[in-house]
Amino acid sequence: MKSKIGLMRHTTVLFLLLAGGISVLLFSVKYQVQDLEEDRVSLIQEIKSERRAIHVLKAEWSYLNNPARIGALAEKHLGFGKTDPEKMFDVDGVEAIPFRKGVAE
Amino acid sequence: MSKNTASEQAILFDSLDPDRIRVESARKLALETGRTRLLVTGVVLCLAFAALAVRLAELTAFGIPPGVRLASLSPHNKPITARADIRDRNAMLIATSLPTRSLFADPRDVMDIEEAALKLGALLPNLSAEDVRHKLALGGRFQWIARNLTPTQVYAVNRLGLPGFSFRDGERRVYPFGPIFAHVLGYTDVDGRGIAGVERAFDEKLSEPVAPGETRGIDLALDLRFQTILREELAAAQQRFSAVGAAGVVIDAKTGEVLAMASLPDFNPNEPEQALGKNGFNRATKGVYEMGSTFKLFSTATALDSGAVSIADGYDTSEPIKAARFTINDFHGKKRWLSVPEILVYSSNIGTAKMALEVGAKKQKEYMRRFGMLSPAAIEIPEVGHPLYPERWGEISTMTISYGHGIAVSPLHVASGVATLVNGGVMHPPSILKRDANSLIVEERVLAPKTSATMRALMRLVVRFGTGKNADVKGYRVGGKTGTAEKQVGGGYSEDALVSSFVGAFPMNDPRYVVLVVIDEPKGIKSSFGFATGGWVAAPAVKSIVGRIAALTGMLPQDVSDEEPIKPGTPFYIPARATQPAPKIALGGIARAAH
Repeated sequence: MKSKIGLMRHTTVLFLLLAGGISVLLFSVKYQVQDLEEDRVSLIQEIKSERRAIHVLKAEWSYLNNPARIGALAEKHLGFGKTDPEKMFDVDGVEAIPFRKGVAE
Repeated sequence: MSKNTASEQAILFDSLDPDRIRVESARKLALETGRTRLLVTGVVLCLAFAALAVRLAELTAFGIPPGVRLASLSPHNKPITARADIRDRNAMLIATSLPTRSLFADPRDVMDIEEAALKLGALLPNLSAEDVRHKLALGGRFQWIARNLTPTQVYAVNRLGLPGFSFRDGERRVYPFGPIFAHVLGYTDVDGRGIAGVERAFDEKLSEPVAPGETRGIDLALDLRFQTILREELAAAQQRFSAVGAAGVVIDAKTGEVLAMASLPDFNPNEPEQALGKNGFNRATKGVYEMGSTFKLFSTATALDSGAVSIADGYDTSEPIKAARFTINDFHGKKRWLSVPEILVYSSNIGTAKMALEVGAKKQKEYMRRFGMLSPAAIEIPEVGHPLYPERWGEISTMTISYGHGIAVSPLHVASGVATLVNGGVMHPPSILKRDANSLIVEERVLAPKTSATMRALMRLVVRFGTGKNADVKGYRVGGKTGTAEKQVGGGYSEDALVSSFVGAFPMNDPRYVVLVVIDEPKGIKSSFGFATGGWVAAPAVKSIVGRIAALTGMLPQDVSDEEPIKPGTPFYIPARATQPAPKIALGGIARAAH
């Protein structure tokens, strides 16, 4: 009989502890969730502004890709001009390209 | 003692046997009810917790959707701008909207109109103090003051700290390539509604919201690089020959996709007010012109395909045709019998008219309809011109239409018709939208494949031996046809106002691209020996375009040694003879400068 009463007391204590523990856990989880929620909101804001920036950059990328601009830059810095279609060869035609004068064969 | 009592009570309590307890019926009933309620509550609670447990297990173990899907479903992931982008066929952005802020005022809340007007007028360009005063004097509760401010300007206005002024988020349409795509794209009004071109045609599609994660926008068939080449070469030709305008089209011969389309003069869609007047007029689709001799291609194809004429036939072109009050003559007549290929190569009006008479008006009209020449071009943009042709399609009309007079169509009509001629005889409605590789293409057979093969050979002959020599690019088998038509001025035709064109396709053994260049009112110059005809004005432009497109797409030059020479006696034989430069245009009667 005595052991039964003792067991009940132990059980009560155990449950109290358990309840206490879970409360603490719940409390901390709740705060964690709150923190995460704040993180999420700021991340959403960040993503939004990044996407906005990407959108603007895409437009700028297009603007910079203007073929006339690239053509002018290639001519200025690389000395490239328009390709003469008659100068195009496939791999087998490489031998048909003459050597420059003064370059040893 | 107390301990004893406690244990006694415990014993007593412990030894109670439920069976031995007798409770009075009323109490028993209450007790039973209580027990039942307790049981029901317990069961319900257990079920609820079980459901929670199951859901928890489900979520942790199975139910989590992949993160990407979650992100894409987020309501925060909606597009940055209300209006969708327009891209070229290589996904390069050619029209987009950028978020901006616009300044508005509630005039009732503005405390000192004079101060606000002076400060804002000094701060913002394109806005004078007088403007602000005027707008604030209009009253009401809402007045736009300045649209689309830069972040710096927004900051500066905020610093003024004027009451009654605030900002509203908006967006501004931006075209990164400026005038390159002008007429195709069109433009939008200040509120972002499409006014012309693709912006107008797909206004609804561009502004409708889509489910998050879905791709937005429109992919055009046009290629930025092709478009740049076409526009540059058109501008060069226009300038060289002091022409009032120019138009050009590059079309994919196999699918009907419009790879480039330009019209000069043009405008910068970033500044839509430039599009007012003639700059906004799309000559490539909206303008209709009597195209002149390029139409001989369709007449020859009609004659051959209907069986009325054989490639081995020929006609006497030594005498002009006199019909009613008209005289049909040749521009540089050979004054002899010409074979069918020679008629096309030397662009003989007399020969073509005679061929058309054998075909007959009814059949000619039917073929013209099948080439799409009798209805507005089936392109998506709203600026399309209605072809002009005679209501009474009589014998004289049959003859003049055969060499491209008395019928006016848009340049796009001609390009699309020539694509049909060379691609095996199948008509694809021209499209400004990129075609999906596995989507079904609308097509209608117009010519037998054999006729198409003959036409390819004939077009190549025109460039090798005839009026189109200036369009040849070595190794790329360019084929085509020149056209020169006098413009109608008042009631008659003007000898000084020409529409000179060249339509070509390459490589002729398996054509991939059709290139059309039309120059409006070119003036002859020294290096063209004073000529302003299609062969001198438009053909060299097509040559440059073909060369640049070939180099761009990595198309390799072919060995063309199999082309030389054509034996005498075969139908395609063109006798070698000096083609003396024809006299400068001096023709009477109805226009028949055909070259």
